[in-house]
Amino acid sequence: MNWIKVLLIAAVLMLLIYLLLSRRSAQSRAWVKVGYLVFVVAGIYAVLRPDDTTVLANWLGVRRGTDLMLYVLVMVFAFTTLSTYMRFRDLELRYARLARAIALTQAQPPEPPESGGVRPPPEPQ
Amino acid sequence: MIAGIRSVFDYVVCVDDGSADDTAVTARRAGAHVVRHPVNLGQGAAIQTGVEFARRQPGARLFATFDADGQHRVADLQRMIDHLDSADLDIVIGTRFAAPEAAATVPPLKRAVLRTAVWLNPRIRRLGLSDAHNGLRVFNRRVADGLDLTMNGMSHAGEFIALIAENRWRVGEEPVEVLYTDYSKSKGQPLLNGVNILFDGLLRKRMSR
Repeated sequence: MNWIKVLLIAAVLMLLIYLLLSRRSAQSRAWVKVGYLVFVVAGIYAVLRPDDTTVLANWLGVRRGTDLMLYVLVMVFAFTTLSTYMRFRDLELRYARLARAIALTQAQPPEPPESGGVRPPPEPQ
Repeated sequence: MIAGIRSVFDYVVCVDDGSADDTAVTARRAGAHVVRHPVNLGQGAAIQTGVEFARRQPGARLFATFDADGQHRVADLQRMIDHLDSADLDIVIGTRFAAPEAAATVPPLKRAVLRTAVWLNPRIRRLGLSDAHNGLRVFNRRVADGLDLTMNGMSHAGEFIALIAENRWRVGEEPVEVLYTDYSKSKGQPLLNGVNILFDGLLRKRMSR
């Protein structure tokens, strides 16, 4: 088995673990920043010395550096999609709670029937 | 319909999930309290809102969820209340599958999907339930106070079951009949939505609350 396969499978597993453990702590946000920093440095390096990506790719068992980039891109995209999904879910819940709070403050009691006089509201059991 | 429920319950809460028509006026005229979501949130959110409103009412002892599309029968509701009281349960859920003749009224494809949903979920089987996605439920104060549905859409039924299991609420079933009128069918969820529900159920445990 090529190294790239090991790496890709590891990335998929990481994705899963990230999904399972995601609690949006300050720590995990910090790791996102560290990851972004690494990405920037690696990106600049790859732009300046594109042939080195091929060397790295060859170490990992991939023929071309572009292919390696594609694989990495797919993994990053999957991470991003999932974390966006989780964040939306969280946001939706907060949004629902906000709307609910508003709805509860504006609850309207039953309207007395127009004909037949005013009926007192029913007593609780 | 509201008048029918009011023959059993003193308080009826109608949750208007952001609709643009005169639902609220009609419901209030029929004697219901109306809580209106300023925006559309989905059925799960509506149930949670209704229960939160109801549990604030002093002296509220018994609670029921009742779909507003006319698919449930008040007579079933009454029997479920009796069952809850006599068997000393925390919650009674309606089931379409207890009696064969009642099950036969469920459209075949829908029946197969609902059956599969029960079969796929070990939790439902462990609780001894036969219909996981019935909108008719009767429960007591303990359940109402503990209820915290976070799935806003159609996945709340599974979440309800999960909460029953987690909180060890004593649960029972009562056979009910669901009236599949053209209106309730048009308001019902497409079966494909079952995929969403399944996926939400798998993700639920992993989500922070």
